[in-house]
Amino acid sequence: MAGLISYAARRLALGVGQVLAVVTVVFLLVQALPGDAAVALAGDDPDPARIELIRAAMGLDQPPLRRFGDWLWGLLHLDFGVSLVSGRPVADFLATGLAPTALLAALTLVLLVPLSILVGVAAALREGSPLDRALTSVSVGLHSIPEFALAVVLIAVFGVGLGWVPPTAVGGLTPAVLVLPLLVLLARPICSISRLVRAGMIEALSSDYVRHARRLGIDVRRIRFAHALPNALAPAVQQVARTTDWLLGGVIVVEAVFVIPGLGTVLVDAVASRDLPVVQGLAVVFAVTTVAVNLLADLAAFRLAPRSR
Amino acid sequence: MKRLTGSGVLLIVVPLLVALFGPLLVPDDLTRGAPFMPEGPLGTDFVGRDVWHQVLLGGRTVVLVALLATVCAYVVGVPWGVLAATARPLDEVLMRPLDLLLAIPSLLVLILLATIAGPGIVALVGIVTLINFPDVARISRAAALEIAGRPAVEAMRMQGETWWRIAIGYIGRSMLRTLAADLGVRLTGALYLVASASFLGVGVPPDAADWAVMVDRNRVGLFLQPWAVVVPAVLIVALSIGLNLTFDRALRKETR
Repeated sequence: MAGLISYAARRLALGVGQVLAVVTVVFLLVQALPGDAAVALAGDDPDPARIELIRAAMGLDQPPLRRFGDWLWGLLHLDFGVSLVSGRPVADFLATGLAPTALLAALTLVLLVPLSILVGVAAALREGSPLDRALTSVSVGLHSIPEFALAVVLIAVFGVGLGWVPPTAVGGLTPAVLVLPLLVLLARPICSISRLVRAGMIEALSSDYVRHARRLGIDVRRIRFAHALPNALAPAVQQVARTTDWLLGGVIVVEAVFVIPGLGTVLVDAVASRDLPVVQGLAVVFAVTTVAVNLLADLAAFRLAPRSR
Repeated sequence: MKRLTGSGVLLIVVPLLVALFGPLLVPDDLTRGAPFMPEGPLGTDFVGRDVWHQVLLGGRTVVLVALLATVCAYVVGVPWGVLAATARPLDEVLMRPLDLLLAIPSLLVLILLATIAGPGIVALVGIVTLINFPDVARISRAAALEIAGRPAVEAMRMQGETWWRIAIGYIGRSMLRTLAADLGVRLTGALYLVASASFLGVGVPPDAADWAVMVDRNRVGLFLQPWAVVVPAVLIVALSIGLNLTFDRALRKETR
């Protein structure tokens, strides 16, 4: 337990460092975006005096270091600034977009872990069988299909051609609407994680402790699921962390394809209209989420197999 | 399993042929009709252009940008990793910033950078390179570290060989196998990023002849004219699956 706490402390320090660095990089990148926010806000017929007024109101006349400090201070209070396009607080955008995105991400993760374990263990227990080879080929093939391409093919077949599910979420987020987006979001991560589970399981089943447990006459199911499986899961759990990277990218694309009003759609719209504070706020939220999930996954993997550190 | 290799290659060859030689088959005088009409082999698209011609034209950018970005990732990433592994004082300086880059979701980096850089193939290649090279550098560093610990390198150092000869002549050559194994992942990753970015309208003009842009723009007419969306999407899917299957097979044959 002491090992876990000291590891968690070190890992947490690294996470905080990453968040700070990411926040800095996002601030610098947005500074480099072309166009002046005050000019954009002043409208079609900009009056120089009005631009100056807006500039002062937004703090754009301050030196960059001062603005960075103010921005960081605001972030600590969940104050992300104000949208340039609508004048609404950025926190509002985040609050309205959060629910659909969180729903999609949570459902994907909840389904992802048991499904990948199921597929991986099924393949590992029948290593070399037709089932194993079929699962392997499918997961190798599906592994890096862009989500949008898979999504439109699924929409064309099941939404438009067969009419089984609504093609987009325009009519509201009902369970039937969520089927295709979840399928698309799950396709890539299931492939990579189930392959890791399979490899880990095969290795664990051929290890000395499993052989010893067999000789002791312990129930086969108990050996497989209580002894071999936890050891097989550690690398897979760490892959779940890498998956959040994909999942965030996937969510942006999937929301665009299925017209789901989540954070991804907010981001794409904000980029299109050069709404810098909104882009900044979303980038910070996405980056912090990624760092946090990575951290949790590392801790979980440490807990599952302390030897690996 | 042999059959599978064949289908993997076939899945690559068809989209690649269309991408590379398609533009040669398109006549110069392109006529425009009404949008989403069933004229021509695959109908017309959202501004009335012939979908078949757009399909022939639209693969070149996707394939070219993915290929170029992969090559660039190796050109930058391999020396980076070898330098970090062989010149120890530089290790932390070179590798720490990459950890940071890997902490940000890649599509987010791409969207932010592409917005700053504006549309253009050069910018897109640069951004995809930037996202891909940290992984290449990491793999190269790990491989180079292992090789640099071998007695042969020790012997070369004692013989007074120059850093260049050791790093390039021996370590670089010994790394080729590891890098070849990594190539498939890199290439499909680049293809994924380029296509997804184009689909989101990042880094390409809105009416570009590009498979991913076609999928995005023609989506509104999915009910009227599904081919304008399905054909380019299926070509991208086929290319991704084909690349994965072929590289995976080649890799397993190698390690057997």
